[in-house]
Amino acid sequence: MEIHLRKIKPEYFTLSGKEVSQVWQHDISIIKGEHLQIVAPSGSGKTSLIHFIYGLRKDYSGTILYDNVNIKKFSTEDFSAFRQNKISVIFQDLRLFENQTARENIEIKRVLNPYHQPGAIDRMARKLGIENKLNQQVKICSYGEQQRIAIIRALMQPFEFLLLDEPYSHLDEENKNKAMELIDEECDQRNAAMVFADLKPLNFFTGEKIVYL
Amino acid sequence: MLLTYKNIQPLITSGKNVFSKWIGYFGLWIGVVLLLVSLQLFINIQQLLKENTPRKSGGYDFISISKIITNENMGMDNSFTKTDLNKLKLQPDIADVAPLISNKFRVQATAGDLIPFSTDLFLESINDNFIDTIPPTFSWQPGQLVVPIILSSDFLEIYNVFAPAQDLPQLSQKTISSVNIILECTGPYGKQNFKCNIVALSDRINSVLVPSSFMRWSNWHFMEDTTVHASRIYIKTKDANDPALISYLDQQGYHLNKDKVKFSRIKSVLQNIVSALGVFGILVIVLSLMLFSFYLQLMIAKSKSNLRLLLTLGYSPQWLATSVAKTWLPIYILIIVTALIVTEILHLLFLQFSFVSNAELPYLLHWIVWLATIVLLALTMLINLRLVKKELQIIL
Repeated sequence: MEIHLRKIKPEYFTLSGKEVSQVWQHDISIIKGEHLQIVAPSGSGKTSLIHFIYGLRKDYSGTILYDNVNIKKFSTEDFSAFRQNKISVIFQDLRLFENQTARENIEIKRVLNPYHQPGAIDRMARKLGIENKLNQQVKICSYGEQQRIAIIRALMQPFEFLLLDEPYSHLDEENKNKAMELIDEECDQRNAAMVFADLKPLNFFTGEKIVYL
Repeated sequence: MLLTYKNIQPLITSGKNVFSKWIGYFGLWIGVVLLLVSLQLFINIQQLLKENTPRKSGGYDFISISKIITNENMGMDNSFTKTDLNKLKLQPDIADVAPLISNKFRVQATAGDLIPFSTDLFLESINDNFIDTIPPTFSWQPGQLVVPIILSSDFLEIYNVFAPAQDLPQLSQKTISSVNIILECTGPYGKQNFKCNIVALSDRINSVLVPSSFMRWSNWHFMEDTTVHASRIYIKTKDANDPALISYLDQQGYHLNKDKVKFSRIKSVLQNIVSALGVFGILVIVLSLMLFSFYLQLMIAKSKSNLRLLLTLGYSPQWLATSVAKTWLPIYILIIVTALIVTEILHLLFLQFSFVSNAELPYLLHWIVWLATIVLLALTMLINLRLVKKELQIIL
């Protein structure tokens, strides 16, 4: 699968000639196995871009193509199929079920299209240091813990593209590296592309594509 | 896939107010019971009254009419003329008309040695198509000394009432056919005895019926008279209770035996009551489904953010709608099965206590009731599924 961004721009944006964006109103292709970093300060539309690609919002001009098909033409059923098999996401606002436990939150994604056995939840939680939080309600977990729960949830399914929207904002350096390692490992296993939106470039990877919004 | 509704059940909250849900279930149950019971009762009444209405055959009523005898027309010829008959035949509600032709000569009946009685008798004949019980032996040809007779079952009943007081033996429907009756026919042009056999009993026609061929032959043979005098005629109609027909007959000054149409009237009143019950049942079902729809809207509104997140995570709207709708399947099946059991019990009670005893009604519910049950279940599930889908579309 390939994702193409063709001259997209949020409808509510008015770009002056002075602004330099390597994404808005440009053509960008993302192919399997590739790492793409989108770097931009707050308020420049990173989250909007992730939502556009994931199909949550349609208020943009230009076209986004999954395998050369305009996603604006997709039905909700089409999106469901893509979100179960091809594309996974870690939202900046996490989007967890607050009254459910961490395990239940992860399991609800896993059972949808199981890529891992249930044991993988414990293994990943151990790796990210939240194994003792698995049976705790999400609403009483810290934001950093919730971020790690959201990361594990996103890794439960098969995917060819992983979208990450500031996934480490509340993690310390050590936990950030552990999470990065896990994500990298999982993407490698699937030969998946990673689209990474953050405030500044990460120094974890080498050789990835960096574009500035 | 491992995926079942159980996985998402905790995310779809119905809130603490489940009262409306249970009221809805109860209402639905009442509605289904009312509908099924009224359907079965309607069929029972239809079948019972059909079996027991000799006047009704092939969907037709047979009723007798005569001209009203008043002080003014008393002593005049009150028989039906050919014109009267033709006018009646032209009526759209009347399918056919047949006069009852009576004997003009004197007839005396004796029952031989077994039952020592003798009486003056009248004989009548009518078109065979109007007789409810007509055996193949009911025919006569000139020269034949045995005349078959069809007797009104009312006459047998009356005989059995007065027989013991007169030291006469009571007769069953079976033994009556073996009683030998001698008919003594006397007229100015001759006298002859005939043996006669009662070959059938009629519930429809209150008379002593002989074959038309015998009546024609004997009226000519003993009286040399071939004119037809019919003071009573039978009409064949789709509905003896048709107000248009009754008012036409009244206008013409014809007398209709009201007793005879009473049965039909009871039947139509009963069927109207039962139909009203059925309509009420449908109304209750519609109301409870509406209550369900409110409950469903409330449930989906309360779980809106969770459902939206499930869709974001990749859950298919179709799967969500089907799974949510399917959760009601067991309770719907329970409602329908218990309603069927109640209907069956009421049907058995009806069979046991019904005012008309009839062994021909089966113990099991009629197939139409089963069909209605299946249709009802399918319809309820379909409505439910559509409702859930519609509500999900709103939050998408």
